[in-house]
Amino acid sequence: MIDLKRAFARFRRSPAFAGFTLFLFVVILNILVQGPGQFFGMRNINTLFSKNMPLLLATMAMAVLLIAGTLDIAIGIQLALVNVVSIMVMQQWGVSLLVGFALGMVAALVASALCWLFCSVLRLPAMLASFSLIYIVRGINVLIMPNPQGRIAEVFYKTYDSRILGFIPFSAVFLILVLAIWAYLMRTKFGRSIYAVGGHPRNAFAAGIDPVKVQFQAFMIKGFITGLAGISLTLMTASGNPLQAEAYGLRSLSACIIGGLGFGGWGSMASAVYGTGFLVLIQNAVYYFFDLLFKLIPGFTVTSYWQNLVSDIIIFLGLLMTIVTAKEQREALKQGFVKQFKGGDSVAKQG
Amino acid sequence: MRDIDKRYDAVVACKSASLQVQPGEIRALLGSNGSGKSTMVKILAGTVKPNGGEILMDGAPVTINSGLDARNLGIATAFQDLSLIPTMTVLDNILLGVEPKGKWGTVDRAKAGSEVEALLERFHINCDPEAYVQTLMPSMQSLVEVAKAVYQKPRLLLLDEVTAALHRDEVQLIFGVLRELKAEGTAIIYVTHRMNEIFQICDTATIMRSGETVAHVNTSEVTLDEIVYYMTGQRPEAVSPHEAEAAHGDGADLVLDVEHIALFPKVRDISLKAYQGEIVGIGGLEGQGQPEFIRAVLGLTRPDDGRIIYRGEEVHFHSPADAVMANIGFISGERNREAMFPDRSVGENVFAGRAAKGGLFRFLTDRKVRDFAQAAVDKYSIVVGSIRNPASSLSGGNQQKLVIARWIAMNPTLLLLDDPTKGVDIHSRRDIHKILRQSADEGMTIIISSSENDELLEIADRVYLFYEGRVSGVLSGASKTPERLVAAMMGLTREQNGAAKETRQA
Amino acid sequence: MLLSKAEGKMALGQHVRVFVQSSPARMAVIISVLLFAITVAINPRSLNLNSFSSILLLTLLLSFASAGQTMVLIGGGLDFTVGAVMSCAAILTTYIMGGQDGNLLLVFALAMGMGAAIGLLNGFCAVKIDLPPMIVTMAISNVVTRLSYVLTAGTFSGYAGPAFVESVVGKILGFIPKLTLYALVLVPLVFYLLNRSRFGRQLYLMGNNPTAAQLTGVKVNKIRILMYVFSAMLAAFAGMIGAAYMKTARCQIFDEYAFSSLVAVIVGGTAFTGGIGSFAGSIAGALLMVTLSNGLTVLALTQPVRNLVQGIVMVLLLIMYNRARAVRQ
Repeated sequence: MIDLKRAFARFRRSPAFAGFTLFLFVVILNILVQGPGQFFGMRNINTLFSKNMPLLLATMAMAVLLIAGTLDIAIGIQLALVNVVSIMVMQQWGVSLLVGFALGMVAALVASALCWLFCSVLRLPAMLASFSLIYIVRGINVLIMPNPQGRIAEVFYKTYDSRILGFIPFSAVFLILVLAIWAYLMRTKFGRSIYAVGGHPRNAFAAGIDPVKVQFQAFMIKGFITGLAGISLTLMTASGNPLQAEAYGLRSLSACIIGGLGFGGWGSMASAVYGTGFLVLIQNAVYYFFDLLFKLIPGFTVTSYWQNLVSDIIIFLGLLMTIVTAKEQREALKQGFVKQFKGGDSVAKQG
Repeated sequence: MRDIDKRYDAVVACKSASLQVQPGEIRALLGSNGSGKSTMVKILAGTVKPNGGEILMDGAPVTINSGLDARNLGIATAFQDLSLIPTMTVLDNILLGVEPKGKWGTVDRAKAGSEVEALLERFHINCDPEAYVQTLMPSMQSLVEVAKAVYQKPRLLLLDEVTAALHRDEVQLIFGVLRELKAEGTAIIYVTHRMNEIFQICDTATIMRSGETVAHVNTSEVTLDEIVYYMTGQRPEAVSPHEAEAAHGDGADLVLDVEHIALFPKVRDISLKAYQGEIVGIGGLEGQGQPEFIRAVLGLTRPDDGRIIYRGEEVHFHSPADAVMANIGFISGERNREAMFPDRSVGENVFAGRAAKGGLFRFLTDRKVRDFAQAAVDKYSIVVGSIRNPASSLSGGNQQKLVIARWIAMNPTLLLLDDPTKGVDIHSRRDIHKILRQSADEGMTIIISSSENDELLEIADRVYLFYEGRVSGVLSGASKTPERLVAAMMGLTREQNGAAKETRQA
Repeated sequence: MLLSKAEGKMALGQHVRVFVQSSPARMAVIISVLLFAITVAINPRSLNLNSFSSILLLTLLLSFASAGQTMVLIGGGLDFTVGAVMSCAAILTTYIMGGQDGNLLLVFALAMGMGAAIGLLNGFCAVKIDLPPMIVTMAISNVVTRLSYVLTAGTFSGYAGPAFVESVVGKILGFIPKLTLYALVLVPLVFYLLNRSRFGRQLYLMGNNPTAAQLTGVKVNKIRILMYVFSAMLAAFAGMIGAAYMKTARCQIFDEYAFSSLVAVIVGGTAFTGGIGSFAGSIAGALLMVTLSNGLTVLALTQPVRNLVQGIVMVLLLIMYNRARAVRQ
């Protein structure tokens, strides 16, 4: 019981707590407007996973970079890069889509290495450098695939939409894979180094950690996850489009911030999952909420643009919310100061 | 035999300083402001490279080029300004770089966890190992910093003013651990400004002055007065904290009256009075609350307790802008961080104080800025190529003169200076002193904090000495002697019974 | 740009960097002229009054959009709402005018009011919230965009009044767009704000060293909020002009300007780190971006190659301007 209490206290203080609260809020909201039966229905869950896996993976890739103290808003267009490389390799060379996927993964890693070169080695402002990268990758995408085309074999997208053992969405395999790898990495030395480099590069360097090297590793992991996201996108759309998913770059960044990730060493992979969950489910909830209004109020009609407006306002408020929760952590710090000052003796624990 | 011998030839910080420590010995490294003791610690820790000299360990010469080298040699350091990573947990911080290896290349967290629990228990640190360092109190962070160094099981442990943020009881806890380590044969170098601690814990002491090691002594064989003499070249003469309060009684107006101001954690209880046309000095060792006090008067931080009475009225400045509106000026010695606008022109830098005051959208010609700046530059003989050049093109001394000209030209009622001549050449320093004295004679009230005693004795009418967030002495007129200043600076005050004693925090 | 033998030892790149940093505006103009010359050399038919006129028009439009961004960047911030505010103002203009000129003053008042409100929100959030301004302004920009969708239902709505259109795209002497007349008012106004008022002085000081500015008595929060308000108002004005240029408007029509204005400002020598820059530089930067895009169009380069060139040019510019500063810090 005490352990449980302590674990909860820990969780409350952790950066993912803010994201979790928001996530919980939208889940409850969804249950309220849809009813638990429909929301937790197999089909609904499966659709939610398969349609949003690319964004979720992109957000997780972004989270790795944020933890390491850098970022790359060109992640979105890199998903399209993986997509076009996979499709074109399959089409032009007549090889299996799986070979295409492998080369798509290589493309994502190369793009990530390029971004690492700009941000960590050349020390350009990450935001602007990766913005420039959007143009470069977009150009390459269209050079490879001038216009949307291609079609993948039915077996691939059928598999993607299927459920393992009847209840695990196939797309969740990507999520589980990334989470497992990340969980392993977090238990290695690298897992500590990446936080140290993001949190305080100078002190990390003093502790014998090379920030540029750690950021390279972070970019490679990000490249791997981006590759998976691109594969997932290809399976989802079942075709090629050189100019899709560009907005995922900025959306994944918003999702990270909402989930409680800070710039540099603050937050965890869970934050990314909660943040994406919030973004996705809020749109869901708003959609069903308006649906409910249409049914309840006869003659009530608004355009679908209203739904977008409402969900974007809620996302903005969600960003504001993270300030409130972060403030709570700051407040705890201040309380500690006051305690120390007012009652010096009571704080120092007697032997 | 494991002894460390160290000779070192640098231009300013250290001049052929040497230091030796034996296993199982706790050696105090002492010195006044800027004596080079921190530099010595940083060299051993690998964060600063020496320009010359050598380090011997076990009789063999070694090179320390990075923190990693130092760790491989068995040297661990606890820094005053902490080497912790605030966004990581206590456990991760302690383990950083020395993670125990488990299966499959993972970190053995279970083993590490129990080790760290035991370590925290040893220090009586009552905190969750999974708590983030940034949410801990400063004293707790200091304890963790020491624990982190001890965890590395060093052969040589360096402690740089780690007790500054600690409470008396917590200091005793650390001492307990240090004695255990000593018994285990660890060599310890201990840097502190608290004199009583030396006699409690240290066997020997190395004393530095102006970058040179002036004495190696056994603490059992010397008195406190002798140590202070070595540190400062002055025999201390203890004073009572409130002796000179009334010294300035010739009817001048009281401009600033600070009553019992407190600002956690550095300022505990400080009262100060400044009269019109007076130069009030603030002295003491570094980090005794001087900058925090000045910034509280300026309104940058809000004091937890106490009152500030300015020109007869109690004031609550919400920001420095309020203070500037009330004719208060501030000059920081941290030029690059707090005073200069390096990319803007010399003219704009001089005009900055003016630019901050007045209607936002009033038309302001370039000529007006230039004339104002040119007049100030001429008057205070600042050497500039052109006032259009960026301020970063000036030398350090001229940059500081520029900042001073910025404010003097505004003719403030009260001018606050925080160590304004830090890193300024002797010539510019003399000019600055002349400007300040002249302004005071014209009726300006000046409060100047300085890390250099000679400067305080030379320029200030009265000197307040701060020690651990309190006033440990006020000197004026005949009582303004180097001996008394040194005593108050070291926290040696005369109590009722007349014996010299160190002030202790309550 | 001739290298003497003694200087030859210095790396060429370093030379270029020193030259560029000493006056980025001049550099941008020189590159623009070179680009234009190359374009003409390759395709002589592109040298005509029409192309000159269109370059001038687009440059001025981008300059107007960059005016606010210049201010915010000098003050050490970043405003991503420029594009959304422009689009929204353009929609407002066409919607209310409905092809008539009568409501011009009303439109102007409404656009300025909308700009001020969004700017206030930006400024307030940037000051009160400890998030990077990029994130905050982006979220606000999304909300503004969605709002404009709600208002227009995503379609073209109305037209700008013919006289208003004429006052923007009409030509003096057959080749100078009348938009230049607006510039004659706007450019001095921005120049006054940045260089001849206390606000401008404080803005530069704050951007260069916020701590020192605060300790010198600058009310940094007030200045920061004001700069966002001005930025959004200037963007709203640019949106009105843009509506006249396009004659009609739909949602997200000027969204691209959020980024292109940022690029123009950076190319014009305004530092990302704040405290350095000028509106003249931004105008030169806008000219460079417009001639570059004009050149790429005239040379009939395909869209992907244009993207590629744009991206690489931007990286090169970043290396030239922003890297040296990072080393110093």
